Amino acid sequence: MNEKVKERLLSVLCAVISIGLFLGFWWWGTQRTQLGKLLPDPGTVFTAMCGYITGTVGKCSLLMHMLSSLRRVLIGFVIGSLAGVSLGLLMGRYALARAVFNPLYRVIRPIPPIAWIPISIIWLGLGEQAKIFLIILAAFANTTLNAMTGARDVDPELINAARMLGAKEGQIFRTIVIPAAVPAIFAGLQVGISSSWASVVAAEMIKAENGLGWIIQAGMDNNNMSQILAGIIMIGVGGFALTCIMRTIEGVMCRWNKSGR
Amino acid sequence: MEQERKINTMIECIHAGKIFHTPDGEHEVVKDLNFSTRENEFLVLFGPGQCGKTTIINMIAGFEDATTGQILAAGKKVEKPDVSRGVVFQSIALFPWMTAMQNVEYGLKIKGVGREERQKRAQRYIDLVGLKGFEKSFPVQLSGGMKQRVGIARAYCNEPEVMLMDEPFGALDAQTRYMMQEELQRIWSTEKRTVIFVTNNIEEAIYLADRIIVLTNCPATVKKEYEIDLPRPRNLVSEKFLALRKEITGILDSSQLEG
Repeated sequence: MNEKVKERLLSVLCAVISIGLFLGFWWWGTQRTQLGKLLPDPGTVFTAMCGYITGTVGKCSLLMHMLSSLRRVLIGFVIGSLAGVSLGLLMGRYALARAVFNPLYRVIRPIPPIAWIPISIIWLGLGEQAKIFLIILAAFANTTLNAMTGARDVDPELINAARMLGAKEGQIFRTIVIPAAVPAIFAGLQVGISSSWASVVAAEMIKAENGLGWIIQAGMDNNNMSQILAGIIMIGVGGFALTCIMRTIEGVMCRWNKSGR
Repeated sequence: MEQERKINTMIECIHAGKIFHTPDGEHEVVKDLNFSTRENEFLVLFGPGQCGKTTIINMIAGFEDATTGQILAAGKKVEKPDVSRGVVFQSIALFPWMTAMQNVEYGLKIKGVGREERQKRAQRYIDLVGLKGFEKSFPVQLSGGMKQRVGIARAYCNEPEVMLMDEPFGALDAQTRYMMQEELQRIWSTEKRTVIFVTNNIEEAIYLADRIIVLTNCPATVKKEYEIDLPRPRNLVSEKFLALRKEITGILDSSQLEG
């Protein structure tokens, strides 16, 4: 226990030092070198950010922009990953489903979500739907494969154990294959949520009235470097928070998978 | 009724054989296997080496088909796994995301037994295998011996007619193994079942068995049969025990011992 606390303290200390050094170099660069012409110093950006949070950027505060980005991501991610995980589990368990869907999936998967932007705009216009559509694709593409691997690699002895205890195929799928695949599913969900977050920013940069992507795009239009940097920092913070939340959920769902001595 | 149960518990292997087709050609692991079980008998299939024994259990369980001959359970050809034949695996194969209790009650849950009833029945078997207090532990939190106790309770709780045990203590250290042999002996005395128990450990075989079938190695087939009528619980260093041990080890040829 003591060891754990020590380790934790050390990692927090290292994080503080590395971020501090980074900010220090940034500040030094803007004061003492030509970098000052390209970039405001961290203090200016911080002050601007505080202003954006308490005041407004465009129509609303920075946090509201972040929430509208989050909202798009959550809707798209839930739909996309549900579809992706379901298809992946079916492909993992049933050879027929794999034979039918896998070739198609293999071709669609490497297409980056932003490549769909033009189509999404033509089909769905410039509103929310087009953006959510992109996130659905991003989540779908990144969650299917892991779910498939997870369902395919279930220990056959576990399946045999369930069969001898009387489980029929449907029960095996629900009570054995799905839970056994949960760790693999979460590996995919992690990638999926990051990719969804990246896609929403890209989508908002094309055309939006709010969201973090809009903030950096509008910052570029107004030549407001502080606004651009504030947007970028919030994108980083938001992405980090999403993966943390995901890891926490994973920790709870996969309690059984870790030796909790 | 008594007569009917006698018929129902019977496992018969009739000229059963298994050939695997591998890239290197055909690989015969079981050949012309003939034996049948008696009611509530503890039957040990003993053979050194790695070949064939697990396959025999898998065929009786219905996980694999016999390629020649047939296997009958209660007079009917075995084609797929059935609740009447419980299996205890060498790999233990507990469901790692379920607690000990959930593992034990899984079979009842699948069958649709109500929560209260199935917990009551599962608790009985958890108590029987000596795991009281560990109901809520996940397998990863249990030691090897405790895991296999859960494995035994899980198979027992489904109330199968026949228990198939495939080297259930093979993965345990020697000390735990002795303890588990005693435990199994005790459990089986409390809840008599027909058991087919596979092992490559001669002491384990003599300690537990009503009857030992000695198997040849690769392909596996019946070499010789021994009735073991020593009184239970058995003394591992009694004169009769040691004499039997010597006799059975004596009929194995050297090539088998190496396997």
